[in-house]
Amino acid sequence: MPIDPRHVGRRYGPFHKTVCAEQIRSFAIAVSGGVPGYFGPAQADPAPGGALVAPPTFGVTFAMEPFALACCDPELGLDLLRLLHAEQEFEHGAPVRPGDELTTEGEIVEVRSRGPLDFLTVRTETVNGSGERVLVARWTAVIRG
Amino acid sequence: MKSASAFHVGDSFELVREADRYRPIYYAAVSGDFNPIHIDREIGRAAGFPDAILQGMCTMAWLADACAAYLGGPARVKRLKVRFSRPVVVGDVVTFRGRCVAIEGPVVRLEVEARNQRGEEVLKGASAEGWVEGEA
Repeated sequence: MPIDPRHVGRRYGPFHKTVCAEQIRSFAIAVSGGVPGYFGPAQADPAPGGALVAPPTFGVTFAMEPFALACCDPELGLDLLRLLHAEQEFEHGAPVRPGDELTTEGEIVEVRSRGPLDFLTVRTETVNGSGERVLVARWTAVIRG
Repeated sequence: MKSASAFHVGDSFELVREADRYRPIYYAAVSGDFNPIHIDREIGRAAGFPDAILQGMCTMAWLADACAAYLGGPARVKRLKVRFSRPVVVGDVVTFRGRCVAIEGPVVRLEVEARNQRGEEVLKGASAEGWVEGEA
């Protein structure tokens, strides 16, 4: 069943997260087994946490919530057993480092249908404590008819 | 640090990763994505798959690894874009093959294909953009 277009513009957040070094390390180890690039001297920096820079898709830990809430939103009534992650875009700004205080807001920006498939797209924007944009992401789910 | 002059159109890179039985559980623990379709074989089957399926974001994280290794650091990966065209099922082995398709000043554009062990595409239109000046 097509998603009602009146939900476009529905907003979720703001959500606040504080990044910690152990979370970055755990993420890198779970995903990659600790690829040296995540810990190498090229990232040396006097910032709290020293050398650590978050891996490129670490945004899932702080920016996914608006998308997850939209998928589970009773107002939309999506069938989670038929729902899959369909598309994803990340545009990174300032690097994410331990100690960063991040704020994310999200909005449903598109609903569309193609044959038996219904698509939902949520756009999120995350800024750090200095007001610098660290991530703009587009999260698209497909609900299989 | 890998300098800007070290990048050339036509460069290629490759990464192989396996979605072992525990990978979706490890990924759930660090990402917060505990959707049961990823961690419960029975739910995966109820959804029409042969087993639990890996979080698409984990596949994308592997893609990012491949790009970051080529670009010379995680902070150099500025854009990533993928379409998840086929689920990665527990037990699948995914091969990422990337190439540099354009260099415009400090911007390095990459295209990557990702296939499972049967040669089926699990990502379509995967692309990345690196920024190879300054901090890496």
